[in-house]
Amino acid sequence: MNRRNFLKTAGCGAMSSATMLNTIVNLGAIKGALANTHFADTQTEDYKALVCVVLSGGIDSYNLLIPRGTTVGGDNGYNDYMAMRTDLGINNVNNLLALNNPQLVGIRGKSSAYSSFGLHPMMSGMQTLFNSGKLAMMANIGTLVEPIIDANDFENGNKKIPQGIYSHSDQLMQWQTSVPQSRDAVGFGGRLADLLHATNTNQQISMNISLDGKNLFQRGNDLAEYSIRNDINANNVGIEALPSWWSSSGYMTELRNNAVDSLVSQTYANLLQKTYSATAKTSIASFEIFKEALKKVPSFTTPFPTTRLADDLKAVAKVMSVRNDLGAKRQIFLVNIGGWDMHDNLLNGLNSLLPQVSQALKAFYDLTVELGISDKVTTFTISDFARTITSNGQGSDHAWGGNMMVMGGAVNGGKIYGAFPKMDIFNNPQNVSFRGNFIPSVSTDELYAELALWYGVSPSDLCYALPNLGNFYSYSAGNYPLGLMNMSGGVSNVDRPQNCLIY
Amino acid sequence: MKKIYIFCIFYGISLISKAQVAEKFGQGNIGSITVTASTNASKGINTLLRDGYLPNLNSASRFLSQATLGANMSQIQQVADQGIEKWLDDQLNMPNTFSTESFIRTLHQRIVDSLNLTGPVEPYTIYNVNLSDWHFDIAWFQGSMTAPDLLRWRVALALSEIFVTSRISGFGNNPYAMSDYYDILLKNAFGNYRSMLDSITYSPAMAVYLTYMNNHATATVNGNLVFPDENYAREIMQLFSIGLYKLNIDGTEQKDGQGNSIPTYNNNDIAGLAKVFTGLSWHDAEYLGDRENHEQDYTKRLKFFPLDSSDAKIRWWKTNPTITNGHEPGGKTFLGTTIGQGRTVQQGEADIQDALNVIFNHQNVGPFIARRLIQRLVSSNPSPAFISRVASKFNNNGSGVRGDLKAVIKAILLDPEARQCHGPEETSTGMLREPFVRYTNLVKGLNLVSTNGTYRNVMNEIYDNAEQRPLNSPTVFNFFQPDYIPDGDLKNAGKFGPEFQLLNSQTLTGYFNALNEWLINNDPIDYYGYFGNETYKEAEEPRFDLTADFPICSNKNLPQLLDKYNLILAHGSLSQQSLNNIKYAIENMPYRIDNMGVPNQDDMLRRIRIAIFLIMASPDYLINR
Repeated sequence: MNRRNFLKTAGCGAMSSATMLNTIVNLGAIKGALANTHFADTQTEDYKALVCVVLSGGIDSYNLLIPRGTTVGGDNGYNDYMAMRTDLGINNVNNLLALNNPQLVGIRGKSSAYSSFGLHPMMSGMQTLFNSGKLAMMANIGTLVEPIIDANDFENGNKKIPQGIYSHSDQLMQWQTSVPQSRDAVGFGGRLADLLHATNTNQQISMNISLDGKNLFQRGNDLAEYSIRNDINANNVGIEALPSWWSSSGYMTELRNNAVDSLVSQTYANLLQKTYSATAKTSIASFEIFKEALKKVPSFTTPFPTTRLADDLKAVAKVMSVRNDLGAKRQIFLVNIGGWDMHDNLLNGLNSLLPQVSQALKAFYDLTVELGISDKVTTFTISDFARTITSNGQGSDHAWGGNMMVMGGAVNGGKIYGAFPKMDIFNNPQNVSFRGNFIPSVSTDELYAELALWYGVSPSDLCYALPNLGNFYSYSAGNYPLGLMNMSGGVSNVDRPQNCLIY
Repeated sequence: MKKIYIFCIFYGISLISKAQVAEKFGQGNIGSITVTASTNASKGINTLLRDGYLPNLNSASRFLSQATLGANMSQIQQVADQGIEKWLDDQLNMPNTFSTESFIRTLHQRIVDSLNLTGPVEPYTIYNVNLSDWHFDIAWFQGSMTAPDLLRWRVALALSEIFVTSRISGFGNNPYAMSDYYDILLKNAFGNYRSMLDSITYSPAMAVYLTYMNNHATATVNGNLVFPDENYAREIMQLFSIGLYKLNIDGTEQKDGQGNSIPTYNNNDIAGLAKVFTGLSWHDAEYLGDRENHEQDYTKRLKFFPLDSSDAKIRWWKTNPTITNGHEPGGKTFLGTTIGQGRTVQQGEADIQDALNVIFNHQNVGPFIARRLIQRLVSSNPSPAFISRVASKFNNNGSGVRGDLKAVIKAILLDPEARQCHGPEETSTGMLREPFVRYTNLVKGLNLVSTNGTYRNVMNEIYDNAEQRPLNSPTVFNFFQPDYIPDGDLKNAGKFGPEFQLLNSQTLTGYFNALNEWLINNDPIDYYGYFGNETYKEAEEPRFDLTADFPICSNKNLPQLLDKYNLILAHGSLSQQSLNNIKYAIENMPYRIDNMGVPNQDDMLRRIRIAIFLIMASPDYLINR
């Protein structure tokens, strides 16, 4: 019986799904039934995880993926780049980290303006992964409701333009929802969980686990994220016990915790009280399960940097390592590293943040190799937007399409997907501003559709996962949105009982 | 003496006796009010209309939960005795009594003096001893605990969550930057919105935070154009004044013929307005582009540079240095207006005032600010009528003045929708108390007092556990956003719950665990030393004294204990069921009595602490309604 039918047959029309989940928790129905599958063969294990790395603030990604060509009259990308970027450019082409013969995979008839590329000098970990086929670059990807061919198409009013274009809050929201025409949509990760939560054997632990508190990406129509801290361990989950030196401390802790439980279990009419209580109950119910599972985290040998992002990703790996104790076959994680809104001091800012990203992601990939799940974990970056390719004097402002990374053993790496724009603001139909803002060549929908199919969403459920996808792509056997993921396992044919979403 | 009471009805307890006559009065539509007078009720109402009504203790406490950061029993009693309007008028007329910057400056000097007394190798000065961001937290806590202008402090905190700057920024750990900015909010909390926009725009902290410090006119660098920074132009419109869509006076969005919302501005407006905020630098800068000299540069208003003479200043030996425009010359078009046409660049500073006037006079500002302030003080889902009443006061305070924040605050707190007691049938009233305010509720409600009047609190516990503290927002979008809709019942009803954006499985337990630290471990203050080998000042790290409650924590007297803190912390809003749940836990805790008949002190303290813990963990307290 899938979860939705379970909810239906349970027959409590007035209960929200969150409340129902708690009922399951309180019954303790599943906890005892969990098999210990520590020694399961990871080769045949049906486990897949997505890790969303948010670069919040809007990364200047035209300094992440940079054209390297210096052939006047031929691929002269680097000189075009420097002419536009002026004081923001990496001013020595030899410092760029070369991508070895990147295969350029165009999209919907569009292809990159250049053929030779490098990464920012501080991204050596990512260079290694790209050149070994474990990392792909997305060129000029961004929020779109439907394809926009050129500046004329953008300006003539016939095409839907993302709401609040260039605004942090809207654009980061739309990268998370992939529904740029609405402010009411839930997140892509949340919708994946709505569809596939029944896949997990333990329904009381959320499929979505956040290292960044509440976020829209992991929020579904039926289910929300579970938030953990990066120093998570069996001893710091849940409500602290009363001081051990109190007489009968254990008994009194229980009295207090039971009272807290009673308070949040009362029936409230006020919607804010109801909402608070539901969150409290769901969280409290998950603590014990996490506590038990975390006792089984193995020790890791992969060296890790000591940055916040690395700590977050290490915590992700810890949770992955006890996936069987948590009853999880599908998991989605979200981590966030902020500080990219570099209206000023851009070169130094990138020199400080980009190595953190590169080192943490590389260590995380290596750790998934150690855990034997590198081809079951796909990590991708998102950000509010790219930034103007022109300078405001040591900084850049908000723009639109930019360059992102996708990493993992199941990624068809060593390639650049999409159409990298010509570094030109005057003679460039892809440019929509005198500051250098590019119409995205790839939509978030196309990236996410590729990830969704790999993750186990059936083609017929794509219209729930990605309501606008039909504007860009329709499924047929062997035809994928980008060709980004290794789909050798085939796609799922299990349709979930969710209706297509329309905005 | 005549006494007039307003009774709030909670959960089926009727306080209106049959002998009394219920009458409606005041701004209308306030239900459940009984006027009792020694003579006749109509005289009572006259008194009431003249002097303001006298609330009962629960109503007084409820009012203070909106108008202050927290109140103790005697403050609640004071409002009950003198009435809400009298208290409000007194507060609104109080001068700004505490400057965080002065506090930091004095503290800084004291630290320097102490260091010099300990025998320096070279003399210490306020220029070679740097402070840190936590000195601002100490200043903030000192002010919040001692300043008598309680309302101002509550409103300033609200403003700091609308006009956001944060230490997570370019000014980082500089307490002078933070205090100068916070003092602007304190000062302008009872001033005019237009003056506040001016002060914020000229604040170094904001200029660094939203990156218009040394912002330069469009220029050619190495043959390529470099443009003014757009950051402040965007956020001053999106977050500080008008928002993304055209609004009606009641805060609802206007619609075009197709039923779509109408954007207030587009990217061209941003680029146009960005040109206005060019040419501003440090007060002691020698040229546009000059650097900060020391951390106190943040305490002086920005200086305007029409020209960029950096080449002449830096390369003083050049006979023919390049002088370019610092401020953008010519007209600047945004929001359907063009300003600055025909001015010389030397006259360009007038552009800034013109632009602020254009923004200030936009029809959106009233409803935009009204809704945000109501959400911060009273409720997450104010009715359009409530927003409209407050926005109208913003537009005209009654004397033809626009932007009078005193009038706006008064309109919010005296509005029937704010004052009305809410029965259980009203399902979307109130707001989730933000975590930081829960903390101030606790320290104020439990009357934390330093014996020497000085506090030293860096407030780490609340930030580490609940991710909130003044001027510590992760982004310019505040800790939570006005339009946040949490999952579940609120979402199904299409209602907002901004503070829920901070609530997750981690901060939920974080709050409980912080309560453990403050209350159970009786450690409500996070004390730091000012310099090495400083003597510990115990008085500056006060703890709760709950011994007065010893007589009311036996099983027999437990209802008194619960009633007391239910009144102080939750204005009596805990339901009987909640009280019973808490009572059950406390009754089952040890209460040992020795052979002299004296109850065990540890047992008594633990009962009192757990009782307060549970009140503050109850949804009846957490949702302030």
